[in-house]
Amino acid sequence: MHDIVISWLANLPSLAVPYALASLGLIIGERSGVLSLGAEGLMLVGALAGVAAYLSFGGYPLLALVAAMIAGAVVSVLFAVLVVLLRVNQVIAGLALVFFCQGLTNLIGTVANWSNRTISGLHDLPLYPLSELPVVGRLLFTHDLIVYLTIPIFIAVSYFLNRTNAGLRLRSIGENPEAADAAGLNIYLYRFAAVIGGSALVGLAGGYLSVGSAKIWIAGMTSGRGWIAVALVIFARWHPWRALAGALLFGGIEALIPQVAAAGVRVPQYFMLMTPYLATLAVMVWQGIRGRIGSDEPTALGQPYVREERT
Amino acid sequence: MAPALELSGITKFFGDFLALDAAHLSVDYGEVHALLGENGAGKSSLMNVAAGLYSPDSGSIKVAGAPCRFSGPRESMQRGIGMIHQNFKLVKRFTIAENVLLANPRGSFRAGKAAIEREIREKAAALGFNLEPARRIDRLSIAEQQRVEIIKALVAGAGILILDEPTAVLTEGEAQRLLAMVRDIAQAGAAVILVTHKLRDVKAFAHRVTIMRGGKTVTTLDPARATADDLTTLMVGSNVVTPSRSTKSVGENRLTVTALASATVEGLTPLVDATFSVRSGEIYGIAGVGGNGQTELADALVGGRQPSAGTIAIKEPGSPTLAEITTATPRQRRDHGIASVPADRQSFGLATSLSIVDNFAVGFIHDGRFGTAARIDRGSMRRATEAAVREFEVQGVRSLWQRAGLLSGGNAQKLILAREFSRVPSIIVAHSPTRGLDVRACAAVHGRLVAARDAGAAVVLISEDLDEVLGISDRIGVMTRGRIVAEFDAPADRHAVGRAMVDHV
Amino acid sequence: MPAWKQAVAVAGSIATGMLISAVILIVSGVPASDLVNEFAMNVFDRQSFQAVLVQAAPLILVGIAASIGFRARFWNLGLEGQMVWGGIAATAVSIYHIGPDALRLPLMALFAMLAGMAWVAIPAFLRMRFAVNEIISTLLLNYVATYFLYDLLYGPWKDASDAYPHSPLYASAERLPDLGHGVNAALPLALVFVLIVWWFAEFSRSGFYLKFIYANPAMGQLVGVPIIPVVWTAVLMSGALAALGGFVVPSGIAGRLTEGFFAGYGFSGVLIAFLARNNAATAAVVAVLIAMLFVTGQSFQIFYQIPFAMVQMIQAIIVMCVAASEFFIRHRIRLQR
Repeated sequence: MHDIVISWLANLPSLAVPYALASLGLIIGERSGVLSLGAEGLMLVGALAGVAAYLSFGGYPLLALVAAMIAGAVVSVLFAVLVVLLRVNQVIAGLALVFFCQGLTNLIGTVANWSNRTISGLHDLPLYPLSELPVVGRLLFTHDLIVYLTIPIFIAVSYFLNRTNAGLRLRSIGENPEAADAAGLNIYLYRFAAVIGGSALVGLAGGYLSVGSAKIWIAGMTSGRGWIAVALVIFARWHPWRALAGALLFGGIEALIPQVAAAGVRVPQYFMLMTPYLATLAVMVWQGIRGRIGSDEPTALGQPYVREERT
Repeated sequence: MAPALELSGITKFFGDFLALDAAHLSVDYGEVHALLGENGAGKSSLMNVAAGLYSPDSGSIKVAGAPCRFSGPRESMQRGIGMIHQNFKLVKRFTIAENVLLANPRGSFRAGKAAIEREIREKAAALGFNLEPARRIDRLSIAEQQRVEIIKALVAGAGILILDEPTAVLTEGEAQRLLAMVRDIAQAGAAVILVTHKLRDVKAFAHRVTIMRGGKTVTTLDPARATADDLTTLMVGSNVVTPSRSTKSVGENRLTVTALASATVEGLTPLVDATFSVRSGEIYGIAGVGGNGQTELADALVGGRQPSAGTIAIKEPGSPTLAEITTATPRQRRDHGIASVPADRQSFGLATSLSIVDNFAVGFIHDGRFGTAARIDRGSMRRATEAAVREFEVQGVRSLWQRAGLLSGGNAQKLILAREFSRVPSIIVAHSPTRGLDVRACAAVHGRLVAARDAGAAVVLISEDLDEVLGISDRIGVMTRGRIVAEFDAPADRHAVGRAMVDHV
Repeated sequence: MPAWKQAVAVAGSIATGMLISAVILIVSGVPASDLVNEFAMNVFDRQSFQAVLVQAAPLILVGIAASIGFRARFWNLGLEGQMVWGGIAATAVSIYHIGPDALRLPLMALFAMLAGMAWVAIPAFLRMRFAVNEIISTLLLNYVATYFLYDLLYGPWKDASDAYPHSPLYASAERLPDLGHGVNAALPLALVFVLIVWWFAEFSRSGFYLKFIYANPAMGQLVGVPIIPVVWTAVLMSGALAALGGFVVPSGIAGRLTEGFFAGYGFSGVLIAFLARNNAATAAVVAVLIAMLFVTGQSFQIFYQIPFAMVQMIQAIIVMCVAASEFFIRHRIRLQR
């Protein structure tokens, strides 16, 4: 029993990372007022790009992850052009992006023969001598680089949003683009930057999934994590640290599934696999019960901005 | 010295609509220059051109004698033009300092915030009031928010200040204080443009006034040398007859509202305790500055939101008993004979993407008037709409099947009245029914309300325009901070009503 | 802009989308000449055209399912999950031999529709009561439904006669019959429902109310439109129709319940509704075009090892092109001045 708990907690962080990074990336974009439903697709792009770079350029995991970030950012330019410049309905554009990425990654993965090839990927980085401590050593100091970097990334993004001029401007665009426009800010520029920058993080989340966790690319491997990240952002009320808490929760659920089987508990396999999705629904219901009093949703979320609108 | 701002020959189209027709304006430093005109005359559009928000199709702009071209608000701000809009361009969740900092960066974030806070305090003190820079905008009153907008412009170094209908949202006392402050700012050397339709303010505070009508500039003159009637004629172009109050007899109580309360919506004063009743054959006007619970009251009356306490009871003609409708749905209220004329026409009065026929027919289709549940009868819908459009004089209808959104403000309102009043309602709730309409359309709407009243309806008129309320109401209730604090019978003393609006602050 | 010009713009953007997709396919190794051949074959070759008609029936059903849901502003992305439950319910009738042979097919259809309504009622209820966004909830429930399916197909319903995860074959009374000339009974069945949905939207009072629910629900509420009953009706119809599609595929095409029978229909339904502007009659026509795309995709999979997911990619590209073109339609007016 003791071992199972430790095993569970030790696996938790690396399963939480994709949720954490993806929702953080979404938060950046949504704080500028752009509703992004494309996370599921961008994660797939990052996952494929990571494996592709790993297999094509000599097997450097960090290079692969950077490639994943770049791929996520590049594909998101398409989305940004559609919703910021051409003012396409953000729900439709987000959905189209997901299905486009699903199809495209499936196609490219098969044609370029990157599918179903295991890689050694990203290795753990034990922090000697701390990693030698009993229990704690395994839980906190024996993880890979990205897990260690996650909290600094969160700190950096949080600082950026709340304690810099640029972050202030970004948030103002998400709250009241008319006020931001009247203050002389370039709405298009900030929204583009927020979407593309945020998507780089989403791509990284996907890349970590393939290069760090599963160490393989399989078509559709994100299995809805992107949608869960979208729900997480709402649950986190657009605050980075709450998103991290949510990510830990979902990482915990995902880490629990193999442990339950190991503990000898006999639950039908497929019902166990349903738990993350049902948990997400439960979280959303709970949000709904608590109501939206004091809602922190960026006021202008989801609405394209155009200056010369006359009623 | 060259004029501070000179706009010449400005023309602006919005699609087919000509908003500005070779308009011109010249304002000097050190003066308060009023821009006078009725709704739709083009005043706000012209100022939006000066502020860089609209780009003119033709014409020129000169600031301090130097020609300029603005491709955005930033350039206009850099030339020293600061505009305070009717709907404030403030981020509600940010503090005063953050809002001012947004357009006026001062180095790094932390240092900048401290510097800005100092500047805000200095400038506010120089004008004679206090502003605590760390307060959030959504915790400030409307008058305070307006002062933030002015400070924002001054911190940015504005030499030309444009105020768009600034007194529309203020009590009489707050308005006087604002206009006095504005005069001081002009005296210190700035050029101040006051966009307004209020003659009293123009005569009391402006050095010069330019009058606009139908997108054109009519003339510029010294308001001290013109009478109010002269100014009105220049604004409107001809005489318009307003309906007179009749001395019809008043019937029984139709609507009784008792201790009605409603929860907060985003910082607006909630409805705290509204108690009043309205009889058949009378117009009960609710006067008050916007933001004192009027919207919540209107919503509670028509069923748009549930009140948190209190009751609404009605007595239908011919029915011996009172019916309590506090929690009734809008559908049920309509069945009881209540008609609603909402303040926000485009959002709540019409479905702008649907046809005129649809927008009219939806008011009746539930009663089985246009076919059955299995099959609607478009032919009878069209005929009924045609008759209603004729009777209520809705203009601009090229085809009954055109989108309702193509109708102008006044005609859209007439269509809404056609739908609501054709049912001969026994109770009418009209919220700011003439907002944004020109004088002719206003008169038409008032005529309809009076006619409905004469036919026996009990009319609740909620309006932020004191002139409107005083003009057609038979009884007046004053609403402040969510309560009806005073009631007057017509004809009411304007000053007494105005005092009631502030005494309970 | 006049309707015919809009139609031209949409057709033009679809053509652009197909061109972009063609480029991607060529880059992926499909010879350009073969692309044209394959696509033309579907229209002119008799056998291929029959395959298209067979494929059209379930696509028509998910297309009108999506469109009636969207008309009520209910973004039903759970079409695949509803199909799954439709298939499960119909298969249950087969496995448990419910009802006499003559009534088998109608019972299967009925059970399928009821299952679909029940499954869509969950996100509908969550939205009405707890304001849970149905875009996410319906998508998540798709995964849940899929796992239910796997549990059955790998478990109690697995056909013991071979190693594949599929149900035993349906009896002949449980298969939708072929009606000659290669047309399966599923097609007229689908067209009947097209008529029903079209009538509902265009001529019934509820359909009139739906126009307001879509255009301006707040105003509709104030004017007395009975929003909740009408939305529930539309949403339940949506779930039932998608589930009917889930009955038609096993019963009309495969002859048994299989692992991935619903693949690709979800987004196809959304695309069809989007291109048809939620109009049921137009959706039927668009569905036939998408069926051609499906059949092409299937043959590419067989002959060129291009995964079937390319169909999804092409559909997404078309959606993006059409959505982008609306910007240019709206703004041509200003450029002309």
